[in-house]
Amino acid sequence: MNLSVKIANVTFQNPVTVASGTFGHAEKYYNLKEVRKLGAIVPKTVTFYPQVGNPPVRIWETPSGMINAIGIENPGIDGFIQAKLPNFKKIGVPLIISILGHNPQEFVGIVEKLNNVILSEAKDLKESLDSSAYRPQNDRMGGIAAIELNLSCPNLQHKTLVAQDTQATQEIVKQIKTISKFPVIAKLSPNVTDIGEIALAAEAGGADAISLINTFTAMSIDIKTRQSRIGNFTGGLSGPAIRPIALAMVHQVYKSVKIPVIGMGGIANADDALEFMIAGATMVAVGTMNFVNPRAPLDVLEGITSYMKENKIADIKEIIGSLKE
Amino acid sequence: MDKIQNTYRVISNERLCAHFWRLTFDAPQLAQEVQPGQFVHIRTADGLEPLFRRPFSIYRAQRYVEILYEPIGPGTRLLAVKQKGDSLDVLGPLGTGFKMPPERTKQVVMIAGGIGVAPMLILTDILKKKKYELILLYGGRTRGHVYPMKEFKDSGVKVYISTDDGSVGSKGRVSVLFDKVHFNPLTTFIYTCGPNPMIKGVQEFAAKHNIGGQASCEEIMACGLGACLGCSIETKHGYRTVCYDGPAFDLEEVIFY
Repeated sequence: MNLSVKIANVTFQNPVTVASGTFGHAEKYYNLKEVRKLGAIVPKTVTFYPQVGNPPVRIWETPSGMINAIGIENPGIDGFIQAKLPNFKKIGVPLIISILGHNPQEFVGIVEKLNNVILSEAKDLKESLDSSAYRPQNDRMGGIAAIELNLSCPNLQHKTLVAQDTQATQEIVKQIKTISKFPVIAKLSPNVTDIGEIALAAEAGGADAISLINTFTAMSIDIKTRQSRIGNFTGGLSGPAIRPIALAMVHQVYKSVKIPVIGMGGIANADDALEFMIAGATMVAVGTMNFVNPRAPLDVLEGITSYMKENKIADIKEIIGSLKE
Repeated sequence: MDKIQNTYRVISNERLCAHFWRLTFDAPQLAQEVQPGQFVHIRTADGLEPLFRRPFSIYRAQRYVEILYEPIGPGTRLLAVKQKGDSLDVLGPLGTGFKMPPERTKQVVMIAGGIGVAPMLILTDILKKKKYELILLYGGRTRGHVYPMKEFKDSGVKVYISTDDGSVGSKGRVSVLFDKVHFNPLTTFIYTCGPNPMIKGVQEFAAKHNIGGQASCEEIMACGLGACLGCSIETKHGYRTVCYDGPAFDLEEVIFY
């Protein structure tokens, strides 16, 4: 049975990954043998400078979902490379690094620093191995396999997000593609009129894949105080509540572009994940449900495997985009 | 995917008084590992409603693990229908528990409000092995919130009670009990847990009298594992997660508004 999937020149052992910002708990808690079974790991979005995050309250529980406004609390790209990346590499699963710049220069700065990671690794390898043993970074487990652009960032000329503007999306993707030594995935926001157009713009910019969806802008109000319950005023809605909308958007994008799609939005189990794959997703990511059931990504993987056995499917590619119309 | 996710069998689930329930489950390894002030994160629903797990301080860990809770929301109300023999999806033990008192400590004063009394019993079980004078100042809303006091008295803790309505003990908030105790800046150590305004009051009192202590804090929590960074609170050292850096913090460290 073949579960492997490909994005650009990178092969993943299976299509199951995690959404950025939902996996990152301490090493002392996770069982390495189990985490190693995942297709890829996406750490929390990294910015150029460290960010302390938003004031509390940062999350609110909603019907089958949650609103979050964490504010991308992270140690910045230098802190990430020094303190976090070595531990993520130890897991031994390809890493997709989610990054966000508050302007194009910051995006470029982050990518240059990530490019340097491979350069220094290649140097180390050359010193320790003879040149014939050298294998490109992308084939080695545990290395950086791709970069995911979190396009839910400010679009400076307009008062929108980059992911809400076709031109801004195409430009930033193009700029990063020119310099990145890694495949580039564009992560789209669902807070748009036509997500198919934005996906096409990312593809035109040279994106190697599209991932979607990010969260929906959402609010919750305390009727006693008549104030927002969220410290940041608004937040992003995620979880099973948004799954049917995410599924429709994934299918729409799959029909619009030729590059692979990574689908996410409220996936809780294998059946949910299979819906996304049938709708056209090459990979699927578990997000919010990691907070409820840390085993959810493995349950998804096991469930997909059983589905393939039961339906005598030899290759997972037979499932991807197999929706009958 | 985690070492700390397990399914346990419910031993009992009993209503102790008008407002408090105790759930006991069979988790020998957890009972052995848990430190006072740590918590368990329980999935109360079989489906997706409510979505989040619910965090509970460990009340006691002897042969079995016990938690104390008040069925007031959708999660705790589902917990109240669990029966002997049911299975329970638990993450734990999680978080950073209470620091032990400094060397010079002779008197430990626990100050708790409502269900915030929960982590004080497991703490008592540890501290009573040493020769501290153990005191509990407890503030409950009504007579229906004071049941657990018996278990503290049985453990040799000197207990003072206040209720909002005066139905048991002194009338008023727990702060009316502060003058019952002779606090000593050198030899007293405080542990506190309860609603934020109460902890803030204890913090101000402790600062004024130069007494050290630990506070167990709460915030809305999603993962419980330090991954989502949703339960951060403000401290003198910046934002810290209640679930991983806490729930126990140095009393003077937490910033309240």
